[in-house]
Amino acid sequence: MTGVLATVDFSNPYFAVLVLLAVALAMSVGFVLLSQALGPKRYDRIKFGVYECGVDPFTPAAVRVSVKFYLVAILFLLFDLETTFLYPWAVLFRSLGLFGFIEMAVFVLILLVGLLYAWKKGALEWQ
Amino acid sequence: MFLGNLASLPHFLPEIAVTVTILLLVALHVATRNRESSAASILSLVGVGAAILLSGASPAGTGRALFEGMVAQDGFAVFFKVLTSLCALVVIFMSMDSAELAGRSRAEYHIFLLSTLLGMFLLASSTDIVMLYLSLEMVSIPSYLLAGYLKGKERSTEAAIKYVVYGATASGVMIYGFSILFGLTGSTQIAEIGRAAASGKASLALLLAAVMVAVGFGYKIAAVPFHMWCPDVYEGAPAPATAFFSVAPKAAGFAVLIRFFFTVFAVPDSTPGLWRLASAFDWPLMFSILSAVTMTVGNFVAIKQNNVKRLLAYSSIAHAGYMMMGFVMLSSAGIQAVLFYLVVYLFMNLGAFYVVVLVSNATRGEEISDFSGLGSRAPLAAVCFAVFLFSLTGIPPFSGFIGKVYLFAEVIHRGVYWLAVVAAVNSVVSLFFYARVVRAMFLEEPKDAAGLPVPALTGAMLVVLAVPTVLLGVYWEPVARIASDSVRMIAF
Repeated sequence: MTGVLATVDFSNPYFAVLVLLAVALAMSVGFVLLSQALGPKRYDRIKFGVYECGVDPFTPAAVRVSVKFYLVAILFLLFDLETTFLYPWAVLFRSLGLFGFIEMAVFVLILLVGLLYAWKKGALEWQ
Repeated sequence: MFLGNLASLPHFLPEIAVTVTILLLVALHVATRNRESSAASILSLVGVGAAILLSGASPAGTGRALFEGMVAQDGFAVFFKVLTSLCALVVIFMSMDSAELAGRSRAEYHIFLLSTLLGMFLLASSTDIVMLYLSLEMVSIPSYLLAGYLKGKERSTEAAIKYVVYGATASGVMIYGFSILFGLTGSTQIAEIGRAAASGKASLALLLAAVMVAVGFGYKIAAVPFHMWCPDVYEGAPAPATAFFSVAPKAAGFAVLIRFFFTVFAVPDSTPGLWRLASAFDWPLMFSILSAVTMTVGNFVAIKQNNVKRLLAYSSIAHAGYMMMGFVMLSSAGIQAVLFYLVVYLFMNLGAFYVVVLVSNATRGEEISDFSGLGSRAPLAAVCFAVFLFSLTGIPPFSGFIGKVYLFAEVIHRGVYWLAVVAAVNSVVSLFFYARVVRAMFLEEPKDAAGLPVPALTGAMLVVLAVPTVLLGVYWEPVARIASDSVRMIAF
């Protein structure tokens, strides 16, 4: 054992981090185990409710989410990313010049075709 | 020589042609009421044809790094662009009279097909790991949509879901590997990464990164043990899409595998045409073992299959194993053998799937029993199918034999005898299940004696695919020369 300890470099600045890690782990695991062992256990209906205090739940918590939300979310993501590209371009508009403008116009045009497609397919309607 | 964005555009014409075609297809889909109009097919044929001409017209031998080193335009990339476009061309024809696609939008189907093609163009030519990852995703995501294109059909949806889950996992592992590579070398350029990896000492992290990247590529070429998605996806997807998956993304996967591993983990040897390992990590050994396992699993599991699409799926796994033999030899002759085999494989495998589409259109079935008596019901299709299957086995005088000769010759030349023996045994085993289908066609009584009508286009395309399958078995020199010319990759 002393042989192993002799190889450890205690002066390493990260040694303190290792000690901290070990102590933190021991404390967190220890408290969970301690409360498990020592804590009083009283099980009743209220204890098993969704909220132990507050208003009683009056509908089941698992609600079905309409699949239409996903479509909207994906479309949002697409055009949100488009803005992410547009901002840095707008900031550097002068230095990028005409080439930058044409490049961005092509990009927006391609997205526009996509928007047209989504529109025509009825992805923007909420029937 | 790094070209800037504007200077790159004249060398980027095939990709631009495909992009414009995709946009026109979207416009067509939005504008027209008739969803089954053949205008989409014709438009796609024109677009892909233009891409082939533009790729072929690019000056050979001069390599350029486009878009500040994002993609390369070299003989190697051009070879794969033409190869994948040819595959797309055949698949567009195949989709024209597919009964599975009846009643569904043609334009949308072709949008997905051409998006995959565009992704493959970029994948075969990318020289930057960010570009490489993006183009791999660009191949994968439209492929998921194609696999699930038969909306409402349980098998097709199952195929799409399995494909997505596998694909997401594989590309997740791969990009983790890329992040480690970037951390080790500080560059996203594969040539830079290669230089840094060769000069630094071999580390466990480098090995880990290489294995993780190999997972992503192994998934794309359906190498064992990353092949589990393959049979289910092939079975559930519409048959023309399956034909496409079995050739084009596999070819693009091999392109990126060769380019990446030869640039990052190998350096050219003093002997021309040979490479040597850049670090202590013996990846050729790893891939040789994978190659042996891949062909063995593919062939032995194919024996038990009764569904012809599943049988061809396992056969395509086995063929990926054969092709990996050429990849691990660290020689330009080995790469040449892979490229030549891919050309041969394109014709024979697409041909085999063409017959499957024909039979499943007529009988609504894809079991081997649905093929019984095809020899008397549709003699032309049956003879062509036999040619394709015997060529897949590697029997002379068909082109599959010459493809295997090139691969085996290089393996023996480099002295890896155990791999050659495994491959030879596998070829014998494969004869069993290919011959089983031929036996059903010619020796078994048909369930339905009535003739099976072969549409004129299908008949013509079968002949168009069968002719090179036979011809390349007796006169292969031009294609072999193109393959050896295409081995030159640029590395900056």
